[in-house]
Amino acid sequence: MQAFLDTFDIFLLEAIVNGILLGGVLALLALGLNLIFGVIDVTWICYAELVMIGMYGMYYMVQVFGLPYWVAAPFAILLVAALGAALHYIVIAPLLTAPPINQLLATGGVLFILQSFATVAFGIDFRNLGIRLPVLAIGEMHFSYSRLLAFAAALIGMLAIYFFMKRTYTGTAIRAVAQDRQIMSLMGVDTKRIYLITSALGGALAGLAACLLVLQYDVHPFVGLSFGPITFLICVLGGLGNFVGGFIAAFVFAQIISLGGLYSDLEWGYVLAFAFFIVMMFIRPAGLFARRS
Amino acid sequence: MSGRKAARLLVGLSAAIAVLGMAATAEAQEKKIKIGVIYDLTGPLAGGGSELQYIGAKIMLDQYAKTGVEGYKVEAVYADAQSKPDVAINEAVRLIEQEKVNMLLGFFSSAQCVPVAARVEQLKNFMWITTCISSAVLADKNFKYVFRPQASGDQFGLMTMDFIAQNSKAKLGKEPKDLRVAIIHEDGAYGVDVSKGNEAGAKKAGFNIVLKEGYSATAPDLSSLVTKLKRARPDVIFHTGYNPDITLFGRQAREQGLKFQALVGHGAGYGVYEKLKEGLGGDVNYVFNADPISIWLANQKSMDPKLPAVIKMVGEEFDKAKPGVAIRSAHVGMAASNTYVFLTEVLPRAIKKYGGVDPEALRKAALEVDLPEGGTMLGFGVKFHGEGSQMAGQNERSFPVVIQYIDDKSYVVWPKSQAQREAVLPLPKGTTFSNQ
Repeated sequence: MQAFLDTFDIFLLEAIVNGILLGGVLALLALGLNLIFGVIDVTWICYAELVMIGMYGMYYMVQVFGLPYWVAAPFAILLVAALGAALHYIVIAPLLTAPPINQLLATGGVLFILQSFATVAFGIDFRNLGIRLPVLAIGEMHFSYSRLLAFAAALIGMLAIYFFMKRTYTGTAIRAVAQDRQIMSLMGVDTKRIYLITSALGGALAGLAACLLVLQYDVHPFVGLSFGPITFLICVLGGLGNFVGGFIAAFVFAQIISLGGLYSDLEWGYVLAFAFFIVMMFIRPAGLFARRS
Repeated sequence: MSGRKAARLLVGLSAAIAVLGMAATAEAQEKKIKIGVIYDLTGPLAGGGSELQYIGAKIMLDQYAKTGVEGYKVEAVYADAQSKPDVAINEAVRLIEQEKVNMLLGFFSSAQCVPVAARVEQLKNFMWITTCISSAVLADKNFKYVFRPQASGDQFGLMTMDFIAQNSKAKLGKEPKDLRVAIIHEDGAYGVDVSKGNEAGAKKAGFNIVLKEGYSATAPDLSSLVTKLKRARPDVIFHTGYNPDITLFGRQAREQGLKFQALVGHGAGYGVYEKLKEGLGGDVNYVFNADPISIWLANQKSMDPKLPAVIKMVGEEFDKAKPGVAIRSAHVGMAASNTYVFLTEVLPRAIKKYGGVDPEALRKAALEVDLPEGGTMLGFGVKFHGEGSQMAGQNERSFPVVIQYIDDKSYVVWPKSQAQREAVLPLPKGTTFSNQ
């Protein structure tokens, strides 16, 4: 009992805060995927690979072309936004009326194309941006500014999307299309344009995630494998298409990983998180924050 | 008419002789050994060292493709395991059954080696492992056709523990029983095996193991592990990993303010200095790594006199393939040396003494290899544990060494017989991780 009580120390607090910061990273990743699913009703399995392309974009602009980080970041966001729009135009649009499994397989195919493209174009080496941000030290607790930045960006991104959807004409149109795409097109809304804007917006969010992840992780063609599955699970846990649900689910998931890893083996943190996901799928199949029908 | 018949007979005979002659020539041309070579050329393991191993093996195979061995052509067929065990198995079977290779060579990842070795043995083909180190590949298997000149994983773990044990009092100022050590590792066959060696070595030395934990090499976050290490306050951390998990750990350890006296790695990602430097910057200074000695660091004076020229050739070819590399990775020399042992010791004996390159001839020839210490570019000798032994197929004379990265150079610091300089231990004051 005493041994258990001894674990309530400063390191527990550090693990909790680190869990929150990891949640910020995951929430940022989930934001764009949720937006796209909520509106277009298509899951981009290749979402993490778009992030990977954005990370490469940042690497080349900063390391090879010598652009300052803050100058390169908007270009990377624009690059992935354009990629998102292109993905919709070339792959998703022709499959909008196809069965969901075909759409999933198509975006799965894009995943392999992007991985292989990156292998051929950029090589298999791990690339590093070489930027070392300072660390925030409070007593024995230390927190990385790169994670604090990601957390802040996730929070701001979430609020920006919320206000964009609620307060702008285009946002309202996007929400309307998300509710009923057939009726909206009958009422004269250009759904094709809305889909394209949404895809570009989803891509831009992937680009934003790329700009922040590249400060914390090496980029290589398979970096998406570390994040893709977990991002997808978070979106499902929060209720696919539900921004707030995905946002909160990211923090729940990250806390289970962080605290589970602290009290047991690191691997058990992931086991507990996935077990929690499975149990929740039984209890609330439509996600933690889905409205009961 | 008889003249015509005689002419037809002559033409017919000539044609028959010509056909037979061509067949004989074809037979002579068919005298070749076809070697299936498998490494990871894509996926996370490629950049973690597998591609460098591929380059090392290819340099040697290309050399012997020009000259042949005992009248046999050497033809290599390369395959990419894509950093996936299932792909490695499928490629191994494809090379054996469809490409009809005489043997397989290579293999970087232990997670691939374990199932592939079992499959190759089942197919009664010959397998020459240049790289993967997990003891689980050979322990208690009694394989007949699988051979590994490379040191095994538990040897790595034992060697680093012995190194710290012998320096504990003198350099770290602590009796071994007071030394707090942490063992962390990726949770695949490779990491688990090395960690077992670490644990056995720590118990033998009487160290206080304050944490022993595995993690997935693809885990997106290791901050909980770092927090646990901060709580456990180890003096020395023994780490086995690939990359980029090593750089992720190093980066998060820095960000979370982890302090210790020494970090000891065990091959794989720790053997690729360029990537460590790129990911960790100056924090890579004074990191230790256990690996077979780099052929460019091995003591050439105590080596077979024909080997320094081969080492020079491998270095020149590597520089052509990867110009501008600060420290030539030990991975390159490891594959080159182990491939060289096969091409110069096993293959000629199989052809001359056992009449060919079938698995049985190669197996018998491998079992007869008897190189003393200094007989390979890696410094160690070669003699395989025979059938019936617990580690049948394992080289009983191989050993890793401990090197230390200091100011963009690597130095052998252990064992003393190979040491090029004294180890810098503990981490100097003022360095990122120093707890002094």
